[in-house]
Amino acid sequence: MISKRLLLVGMTVGAVFLSASVQARVLIQNKGSDTLVNVAQAWAEAYQTIDPDVAVAVSGGGSGTGIAALINGTVDLANTSRAMKQKEIDLARSKGQNPVQHIVGYDALVVYLHKDNPAESLSIPQLAEIYGKYGETENWSQLNIEIPGCKGQEMVIVSRQNNSGSYVYFRQAVLGKMRDYKMGTRDMHGSKDVVELVENTPCAIGFSGLAYATPEVKLACIAMEDGAPCVMPSVETALDRSYPIARPLFMYTNGEPTGKIQEYLNWILSDEGQCIIRKKGYAPVQNVTCN
Amino acid sequence: MFAASGLNSRNNRRQALIRILFMLMTGLLILPVLIILTTLLYKGGPAISFEFLFGNPTNGMTEGGIFPALVGTIWLVAVALLFSVPLGVAAAIYLSEFAAENWFTRAINLAIINLAGVPSIVHALFGVGAFVLFMDFGTSILAASLTLAIMTLPVVIVATRESLQAVPYAFREACWNMGATRWQTIRRVVLPNAVSGILTGVILEVSRTAGETAPIMFTGAAFFLPFLPESVFDQTMAMSLHLFVISTQVPGVPDELPFGVALVLIAMVLIMNSFSIALRIYLRVNKKW
Repeated sequence: MISKRLLLVGMTVGAVFLSASVQARVLIQNKGSDTLVNVAQAWAEAYQTIDPDVAVAVSGGGSGTGIAALINGTVDLANTSRAMKQKEIDLARSKGQNPVQHIVGYDALVVYLHKDNPAESLSIPQLAEIYGKYGETENWSQLNIEIPGCKGQEMVIVSRQNNSGSYVYFRQAVLGKMRDYKMGTRDMHGSKDVVELVENTPCAIGFSGLAYATPEVKLACIAMEDGAPCVMPSVETALDRSYPIARPLFMYTNGEPTGKIQEYLNWILSDEGQCIIRKKGYAPVQNVTCN
Repeated sequence: MFAASGLNSRNNRRQALIRILFMLMTGLLILPVLIILTTLLYKGGPAISFEFLFGNPTNGMTEGGIFPALVGTIWLVAVALLFSVPLGVAAAIYLSEFAAENWFTRAINLAIINLAGVPSIVHALFGVGAFVLFMDFGTSILAASLTLAIMTLPVVIVATRESLQAVPYAFREACWNMGATRWQTIRRVVLPNAVSGILTGVILEVSRTAGETAPIMFTGAAFFLPFLPESVFDQTMAMSLHLFVISTQVPGVPDELPFGVALVLIAMVLIMNSFSIALRIYLRVNKKW
């Protein structure tokens, strides 16, 4: 009789699961950029007390993941650290979605160096020779830099996986639209991974969001041109746009947001929401005074 | 009294050597388990508290508890078992008891072996395409559990088939000679004698289901969702994904937190399995042959 009883138990459990499917609260699906994921998490956490009837489900995976989900219609808010490409917008339209862009903050993309690295500043052209295809710079001594503990002074060039918004934006801002990345870079799968690798590798150079800075790594001062004055990455320099590689961070909705999604987005853009993004190490959309 | 010849004693010495060598190798197997468990207990133990087990994550997931992830994993495993155990056991019974030895059976066996060899991230993509998009379940427990169920089906099928075939053929023949049908034989004689092997399959499945990250990442598990799921159509947090994100993506997580999560995950799998293990011991003690 074991089998009959098992069947009965199985059916009961199944019925219980399925019958409880009526939902009382609103679920907002929020997915995308790894750069934004920790801010998105902080917003979702704080919003619990603002509107307990709303549950915000946050997932990472990269800007590309968020955009794909928006195109497939499985997400309410797609986080991206780059603008959607025209090709992606067309694809979304052809599937009946209508992506609407909202800027929710700004991020300084920081070039991270090991703390023993004596380099103080790097220029955009120098970075292009390090990261760009056919770039000449492969050795720290080419920049007249000698790092203690770095064997052979050979650069370990750290980049991101290609569906990351940081990957796309860095290429745009540093290499120019037509140039590809160099072969042989270490492509990490998370913003935090880049910083951790640089922290432990004297030869390394890597880029990641300012929010992932730790006291154990060095932040490079970035100059637009060789010999031009350099600007340190910070919330302030990202906000006044003096830092050369700062980028807007977006949330995309399907059509103009309405109802609970609109309320949530409005709250994100309010002083309270913007103070949260600032506290996480990103620049807010407008100047806010936070306690 | 008789003395061993030179040949005998050399063979005996060689056997003793082999015995010790193989015993050491077996002992090595225990080593990783011991190291993992002691590391987890030592480093993760201090993180465990009532608040940790039954609280929500707070302060950017660097503090607070893991309750939503804990409940989420139980949901995922339970729903996955609901699909894979009946399906897997039925398929194994067909293959072991009914199927003729022909090209069709061989094709099915080949498919099962191949299914077992598919990497979990490919299962994840299949899950997104089939359950999230095509069947329109959305990113939900249902989609994630179905993906997990398909991924673990081979485990259940193979374990069940092996245990069915371990039941001596003479039992079946005796039963048929009493006038019983095939189904009566299976239900009254073969299955009761194979339950312990089937449970082994279920144990393996539970462990794998609870630990997998890739298949649930895109099909139903969320980075952060501080609410308990209310139905199979909700998204949920899960222990395995939580462990992955707090160790790779969230800045400022205290060291003991990931170890604590890992410790709870292992303990949870052990508790979920203890029921099967207890039943298996009971059956073994009462085995009549």
